[in-house]
Amino acid sequence: MVISPVHYIVAPLLAAFAIPLLTKLYKDAARLVPGIVLFYNVVISFELMQQVLKNGIINEVIAGWKPPWGINLVLTPFTAFLTTMVSVLGFTIWLYGFRFKRTLKGGVVKYYEILQMMMIAGSIGVIITGDLFNMFVFIEIVGITAYSLTAFYRERNGAEAGFKYLLIGSLASTFLLLAILIIYTQTGTLNMAQIAERMGSVPQSMKITALIFFLIALGIEAEMFPLNAWAPDAYEQAPSPTSATFAAVVSIAGVYALVRVLFTLFDVSGVHNYLIVMGFITMLVAEIAAITQKNLKRMLAYSSIGQVGLVLIAFGIGSKLAVFGAIFLMLNHAVIKSLLFMTGSYFIYNSDDKRLVGLNGMHKQLPYVSALFSLAAFAIVGFPPFSGFWSKFYILISASNQKMMYLIIGILLVTIIELVYYLRAVGRIYFAKEEMDDVAHKPSLNALVAMSFLALFIIIVGIYPDIITGYLSDAASSLLDKMHYVQQILGSK
Amino acid sequence: MTEFNDLFIKYKDLITIAVYGTAIMLILIGLYAVLLKKHLVKIVIGLSIIDAGVHLLFVAVGYIQNSTAPIFSPGNEYAAPKMVDPVPQALVLTAIVIGFAVTALALSLVIRLYKHHHTANIDQIKSLKW
Repeated sequence: MVISPVHYIVAPLLAAFAIPLLTKLYKDAARLVPGIVLFYNVVISFELMQQVLKNGIINEVIAGWKPPWGINLVLTPFTAFLTTMVSVLGFTIWLYGFRFKRTLKGGVVKYYEILQMMMIAGSIGVIITGDLFNMFVFIEIVGITAYSLTAFYRERNGAEAGFKYLLIGSLASTFLLLAILIIYTQTGTLNMAQIAERMGSVPQSMKITALIFFLIALGIEAEMFPLNAWAPDAYEQAPSPTSATFAAVVSIAGVYALVRVLFTLFDVSGVHNYLIVMGFITMLVAEIAAITQKNLKRMLAYSSIGQVGLVLIAFGIGSKLAVFGAIFLMLNHAVIKSLLFMTGSYFIYNSDDKRLVGLNGMHKQLPYVSALFSLAAFAIVGFPPFSGFWSKFYILISASNQKMMYLIIGILLVTIIELVYYLRAVGRIYFAKEEMDDVAHKPSLNALVAMSFLALFIIIVGIYPDIITGYLSDAASSLLDKMHYVQQILGSK
Repeated sequence: MTEFNDLFIKYKDLITIAVYGTAIMLILIGLYAVLLKKHLVKIVIGLSIIDAGVHLLFVAVGYIQNSTAPIFSPGNEYAAPKMVDPVPQALVLTAIVIGFAVTALALSLVIRLYKHHHTANIDQIKSLKW
């Protein structure tokens, strides 16, 4: 069988709409089918990444319409790396949530699994598409599934968070449409490679207007300050596997869309400084907000926004080393933040108290989960033996190469804030004294396997980063080499 | 029919301004509703009005003076130069479907919110805050 990037999108969509039928035949199909599909995505993503690294960019033409006219899917080393990462994490999160809410009545789990799978498929679509309007459609798929998943629990206040998210999300989509309209009137095409080619002849004023609309629209998706007010509510109210997916998959797709538009479509000077400034404000505000939180999931959500801010800073620095560090940090953020949400949800599950106070003395109840949570907390702050150290290290080195000393000081100060609230959480787990009942909910085997896999990844990459740096370096140079991208897409007529 | 065409050509600048003006007015009216109205359903209506404005803007941008609809028919195979741009119309069709889905989802969330809070006034729904 020929493997092509179309399978990433076709398989999950087909399965999603087949699940309601399949559950009529076999009751557990709703839980098993997404796993099979997501595992298939993992397999083809590894296969395709090998092909991309060996033979160069894969340009998949849909329905025989060649790139400037039809929709094309593009796998560069950068997008292939991100799709592999998203597929693996999607599968891991499925494994973690395999026994999720299987006791819920009325087949509600069915809808959860369908929406979750479509959210991952949509995020992969955002990453691999080579067409601007197609990207809008995939962003809307991610958006609609994410609003629904945020409001998944009827008894919680999910509808409020979901409605807030929907309001901001539809304003974002309006701005995105206006930006696409401006680009289309100026260049007469929607293909990203051709837009990049023709962007030179567009008047500066039009370019700036379109850029501002893009920054507003995609800044909302990428959780950039001040457009990220939806994020903490959505992360808090959504089911825990979905919170992990927001951090590991959706925010990655948002950052990718922003970076692709800024790096490939536009060549406006000054936008890099804007990214650095906004990234820094995002990070600072988010980490300060995180330290004041009393709710564990909200704290993790703010920390997530802070990490995205650091990613934006690194993309803003713009040298090859900085982009390398940024992609490394995207990987680390996805892996570590999923692990934090996975372990954190067991604490919440067991204490009836969603606040940080509920963590008190948890290590007696859940020793293994506590150890994994502490490991992830140390990793995300950037302690040396873990993978989080290397990404922050490379970003700081690239900043010092560019003589941005204030930036380094700023990042390190924010890291101290980060350290304070993570240590506070870990301290509560290990040192706070609390009378505890017996464990009500032990982690199930599949969840333990998923969490251990992520923890193992953090440790191995931390001790021996060379297994991953080759891919990252290819990804970084493919993102920066705009001319190669344009030639590969339009040259293959 | 020819009289209508003459009239159309005579006032074509005015008509262009009217179409673009309507589109921008719709977007602004929708934004006003989303930002300032307190009732949840009115906010959802505002979102729909913004969508309508954006769609009108798309179609207006693709319009070419004195052109026909972008449909090939027998005896009319070489009419492509006399057609309006079909791409924005295709985009608008997609955007309308997406807008419909978002509106439906928004209204279902409004119902859920009303059941949970027993009010549809957005000022009284504020259990989630920093």
